[in-house]
Amino acid sequence: MKAERPKFIGARIQRFEDTRLLSGTARYIDDIVLPNMLHLNFLRAETAHATILDIDTSALADLDFPTWVFTGKDTAGLSMKAHQDVPEMQYSEQPFLAEGKVRFVGEPVAVILAEDPYKAEDAAELVFVDYDPLPVVGTMEQARDPEMPPLFDGWKGNVIVERQMKGGDLAAARAAAAHIITRTYRTQRQAGVPMEGRGVVAHYNPADRVLTVWSSTQMPHLVRTYISEELGLPESRIRVVAPDVGGGFGVKGQVYADEILIAWLAMKTGRPVKWIEDRREHLIASIHARDHEHTLEAYVSADGRLLGLKADITVDNGAYSTYPFTSAGEPGMVGKVLPGPYDFQAYEATFRAVATNKCAIGTYRGVARPSAVFSQERLMDDIAAELGIDPFEFRLKNIIRQFPYKNVLGFTYDEGSYAQSLEQMRELLAEDIAEAEVSKSSATRRVGVGIACFIEQTAHGTPDFTRRRTPIETGYIAARVDMSPDGEITIDLGLQSHGQGLETTMAQVAADALGMKPENVYVRHGDTMTTPYSVGTWGSRGGALGGGAVHIAATRIADKLRTIAAHLLQSKPDQIDLVDGRAQVRDNPGSFIEIKKIARIAQRNVEQMPDGMTPGLEAHASCDGPRDGTYANAVHAAVVEIDILTGKTKLRRFVVIEDCGTMLNPLVVDGQVRGGVVQGIGSAMLEHFIYDSECQPLTTNFADYLMPLAPEIPNIEVHHIETPTPLTPLGAKGLGEGGAIGPAAAIANAVGNALGTGVAETPLNTNAVWKLSQHIRETA
Amino acid sequence: MIDITLEVNGASKTLSVEPRRLLADVLRHEFGMSGVHIGCAHGACGCCTVHLDGTPRLSCLTFAVQCDGASIRTVESLGGSEADHVLQQAFKSEHGLQCGYCTPGFLMTLAPFVEEMVAQKRMPEEGEIREAMSGNICRCTGYQGIVAAVRKAVTVGLDAGAA
Ligand code: FES
Ligand code: FES
Repeated sequence: MKAERPKFIGARIQRFEDTRLLSGTARYIDDIVLPNMLHLNFLRAETAHATILDIDTSALADLDFPTWVFTGKDTAGLSMKAHQDVPEMQYSEQPFLAEGKVRFVGEPVAVILAEDPYKAEDAAELVFVDYDPLPVVGTMEQARDPEMPPLFDGWKGNVIVERQMKGGDLAAARAAAAHIITRTYRTQRQAGVPMEGRGVVAHYNPADRVLTVWSSTQMPHLVRTYISEELGLPESRIRVVAPDVGGGFGVKGQVYADEILIAWLAMKTGRPVKWIEDRREHLIASIHARDHEHTLEAYVSADGRLLGLKADITVDNGAYSTYPFTSAGEPGMVGKVLPGPYDFQAYEATFRAVATNKCAIGTYRGVARPSAVFSQERLMDDIAAELGIDPFEFRLKNIIRQFPYKNVLGFTYDEGSYAQSLEQMRELLAEDIAEAEVSKSSATRRVGVGIACFIEQTAHGTPDFTRRRTPIETGYIAARVDMSPDGEITIDLGLQSHGQGLETTMAQVAADALGMKPENVYVRHGDTMTTPYSVGTWGSRGGALGGGAVHIAATRIADKLRTIAAHLLQSKPDQIDLVDGRAQVRDNPGSFIEIKKIARIAQRNVEQMPDGMTPGLEAHASCDGPRDGTYANAVHAAVVEIDILTGKTKLRRFVVIEDCGTMLNPLVVDGQVRGGVVQGIGSAMLEHFIYDSECQPLTTNFADYLMPLAPEIPNIEVHHIETPTPLTPLGAKGLGEGGAIGPAAAIANAVGNALGTGVAETPLNTNAVWKLSQHIRETA
Repeated sequence: MIDITLEVNGASKTLSVEPRRLLADVLRHEFGMSGVHIGCAHGACGCCTVHLDGTPRLSCLTFAVQCDGASIRTVESLGGSEADHVLQQAFKSEHGLQCGYCTPGFLMTLAPFVEEMVAQKRMPEEGEIREAMSGNICRCTGYQGIVAAVRKAVTVGLDAGAA
């Protein structure tokens, strides 16, 4: 039994990384400058689907400055391979530079390098590409039309992958149902859009055969592995560094062709090469997300019990499969998570990804869950309306209350606070609900209240990833902890921190295990040269699994400190407490030795250590996710006020009750929740990548792709319930993504509540709400 | 090429620049002010905000040659490497930043606003604070911590004035 209680885990500690970020001394990708560097400009496809007839670079010869140009002919054979290893998936690769064909507007066709970025851009304008247009596959319907030409040679149609998941007896559920409710829900194409775009700098030193690549990425080790596999270099001689990263949100949680291409170019030209993405490139060609259509059919008993659910899911994947989660990731996730927090025993989902001539779909905070929860929670309200039951009542009638719970697909949920959070939310909203009720008589101004109740499988690890059969393969997170002779602590963390505050939270974890202060702990991350192999920071895994790895490693050092202290104090290791910088005998705190003195003994005065003990205070540990992850839960609520005449919708109130188990640092937790919620509000009310019928992107700057600004956002009220999980070392569940998962559903339900109508689609901008309120204007 | 003289954070330098070079690029590359961040380069995000003769301006929409003879302040001038300006400290205590990429732009936009409120001896309304930052996009924080930081910095300023 340990006597010391956590002192720093759970404390609202200000972040250590802030001073660097506030002072302007942080180093982001564009701050990496090397001597003799070349700047790269991409020439990108201007047409969505075409055969490349010719690329004419002859005008470059007339320039009065040197340029280097490469096309798909030069990079032939180099490609991104992101395949799910199942027979139902059609195989494709994404060439580094288009080979023969372009498949979406923004696809790189050539690269032009020059000694100045302005000049590289000038030169790119002189390269002429002759295209022969092909028919464009622009919609889910067109993609499922067998008459349309396939995007890739050898494909049958444009359905990339279609699979099923099922559990229980759906026919019986249907037969027993008193009500069958069928609805189709649509969530549009959006993306994470960090304020810093992507960028890559690469440098190769042939003398020692070392390749160094700086990239604004969430997963430096995976970038290293892909470079190694594709370019045939040993991983030991590749160093990938993610410097300070200005936001990721999943967009930087992929390995991109350009990261490997730029490494290859640095080797090819013998000069460092730099590429900084501009905003237009980011909005048309990094990755997009969402773009789902779900048709759900619910079977409900006469007394309002959910008996079964049938789902048909289509994701408009765009042209290419992204690495490492593949085109199969997004639809598969919907199929997996739709059962949600409700207790029913029959389920069947058919899910597919289809290929269109658009930017590829990849991950964005919450991944498929914001769309899945939108459909799930819209459906709950639609069923409640059809049955004439209060939406809270209907959910409480069907919510899971017994834990651990084995769901219809066989996934085991650890304990959560589902019913409690629903009850608590109902109390918090009582006045708003009453006001909404009263406003129903108004034909000009309506108030609506909507909720979204959801769970989130977090801390996925290897068991989950091997089931997916995609290139991600594994999910452990590793950390190496080292106490130097002066007693200061270094953590080399396999994660990369791009806003999550890991330089602080991981220090808190180590400090508690070692009886030191967080100020004594320096957290290094993002550099494959110093940090142990891990798959990166994404998927709500950092706190739970990264914190777990740090805890395990630090505890190993603590055990050694205790053993040395016991030897010196003539006590037993299990009688030694590490507390406030001292190793002290539990029943005799006057008998102690300073931890930094032990650190010195362990590495400088090693003759004082117990006989046979190895010098050094270093430990490496990894922490993997439990079989089915650990399930965080939350209820989100939105209160909207709608001007019926204009459709103008004001988000008056947004409330979150969330349970992520043990909180490492509530300041950081609140920040993650609020930031996620506001992104979710953008998803619900503003954000939409629009393509025209020729698949030309129409949202290519921040005047067209609208993200939330401060004036339209209310304060986000956050309430916590802490149900620690037994499945991770610190009891923490993941929380990074949850904030973004609920808002689309909660806001759509609030709008639906205000207008007395179903809502089938996001985003709910002024125009959409105006259309939805037509019936009120007509009857007024 | 045109010769211009800029005074940046107290140091003057004369240099020859192409008329098309953005002020943001010149500050970053010729003056080494890496705290000037570019988020969109089309005037819609506020990341690149600096003070031009005391007024917040978007350095991505300004050509360096327009600024000949001007005095420019970037985030580096606020509180130095310790970030000890009252607004920077408030950003820290109120968790007004996560990835930090938008942060220099918010600081340079809001520092004059805080000063103005302190001079007027009043605490701005919530809506007023949010309006003051309506030209800046933060994708991480949801703005709430930034609003709280402004309030805190104004409070510190008002308390100091009252003392
Ligand atoms: S970078 Fe200047 S406003 Fe966005
Ligand atoms: S802190 Fe990341 S964009 Fe504002």
